[in-house]
Amino acid sequence: MKTLRLEFYKIRRRKVWLTMFALLSVQLVWGLWSMRDPREWELQSGWMSLLYFLSLLDGIMVPAMMSVLASRLADIEHKGNTYKQLEILRSAGSLYHAKAVCGCIIIAALFAVQFAFFIALGYYLGYAGNPDVKYYLLSYGLKVAANISLFLLQLALSMLFANQMIALVAGLGGSMAALLLMFVTTHSFLPWGGNLSAVLVWSEWDEATRISTFCYRTFSPVETAAVVCIFVWIVVFYVGGRVLFARKNI
Amino acid sequence: MAAQNLIETTNLTKQYGKVRCVSSLHMQVPQGAVYGFLGPNGAGKSTTLKMILGLARPTEGSITLFGVPVNDQNRIKLLADTGSLIESPSYYGHLTGEENLTILQTLKGCPKEDIDKVLNIVRLHDARKKKVSHYSLGMKQRLGLAAALLGFPKLLILDEPTNGLDPAGIQEMRSLICTLPEQYGITVVVSSHLLSEIDQMADHVGIIRKGELVYQDTLEALHSHAKQQIALRTDQPATAISLLHQDGIAVEKEADYLLIPMIEDAYIAQLCRRLVSHNIALYRVEKREKSLEDIFLSLTGKESSL
Repeated sequence: MKTLRLEFYKIRRRKVWLTMFALLSVQLVWGLWSMRDPREWELQSGWMSLLYFLSLLDGIMVPAMMSVLASRLADIEHKGNTYKQLEILRSAGSLYHAKAVCGCIIIAALFAVQFAFFIALGYYLGYAGNPDVKYYLLSYGLKVAANISLFLLQLALSMLFANQMIALVAGLGGSMAALLLMFVTTHSFLPWGGNLSAVLVWSEWDEATRISTFCYRTFSPVETAAVVCIFVWIVVFYVGGRVLFARKNI
Repeated sequence: MAAQNLIETTNLTKQYGKVRCVSSLHMQVPQGAVYGFLGPNGAGKSTTLKMILGLARPTEGSITLFGVPVNDQNRIKLLADTGSLIESPSYYGHLTGEENLTILQTLKGCPKEDIDKVLNIVRLHDARKKKVSHYSLGMKQRLGLAAALLGFPKLLILDEPTNGLDPAGIQEMRSLICTLPEQYGITVVVSSHLLSEIDQMADHVGIIRKGELVYQDTLEALHSHAKQQIALRTDQPATAISLLHQDGIAVEKEADYLLIPMIEDAYIAQLCRRLVSHNIALYRVEKREKSLEDIFLSLTGKESSL
């Protein structure tokens, strides 16, 4: 707990929260712009379309956000050569764990704010009925899990390599990969495909009426496996990153 | 009774790939000492200190701290009573000096008042609210020392602590290090590639060369090796050697010179007369002094910097 508390103390004035919320606010502006002036059929399926829209936005932007978050948490140690001081007082494993948990808390808070804002926006726009609590909670949980897996991958890279370009390039490459995956498949076993695999709402575009209809997605066995894979990645990236970091000579 | 060794390494070895950085090191640091760990750049000083602090895993050998063999289970506990400053100071540039120390104070679990005490010792109290990124290099180095002093540990390990300091800062750091054993009961290990620096601070010295500990004893013992000799150059060195041997004088041959131990002036005059009386031409009679620097160079190799 002490080490975790210190992680939050250490990121004072690093504007980690501000950076995250700045990126989030880009999403919000994007959302406000594209959801302005909804038509009647859009208001009817508003809550479902919102989940779909959020998944699209996250798929595009969040991998890069995760690399920025991991880098912000790790580079304070690289810049000040602090590992050699910290590892005398705490095991490398517990330092890694504190950073991982700190990042996970930020991610959970970030998506809570995102969901809260978009739900408030849905009510403001007058979406019919109420959001389906079960699907919204499930969507929130899967989104947090998918992005924690990405964050842990990025954290491992950021902690292992002092040069943050390596982790940032991997993050941007991941963003590109996630974007491309959206065009070609409904699921992916790649870590960057987690946001795609975790989409709960699907859209069908009718060219004749130019209307999208939304429905909750039924998962095929392969698609279910892709969702399970998110949790496998979490374990792999956490354990792998922690072991490699502990083995690293300072 | 001999003082307990706070650090003892046995056969300590570190190999990176095929390169052996530290080789079978047997280091002994007595309690209450200022132990100067001397060696040229790249000799293996930092690697050795990192192994002692658990920052690098030894390839072979063992380390005993405070009389207890160090292992993965007890390492953190044993090191809780240790302060260190390895290579460059560690700090968070975006935090103030005080905040930096608060992090370490929390991790070390020492009293909050220690922060003020150590800031006063290193004369950074007035700059405690300033961001460390705005500190000068000397101030950062002093902050590093303050961090190492937090909790007033039994053992302080300082790796080249005067790096980057101006002459006044170097002098100040030296004086501070010298006072630590007496004022706070802290045993200090200080590494340097500068003999003069160690000569001014340490009472025990270990000299490392290419990963091997080539000398370890008190500084006083090292000084006693700094001997004076008389060098003679003659036209018949072989005859001169046999004459000197007849007089019971030990002779070393070095190039064209014969080196004999330092003797009184009157005896030198007598010796010269004796050589000349045997038709030996005496070209030169010189006094040779083997300084501490010469000893250091002979131990570490001529390429070493002083």
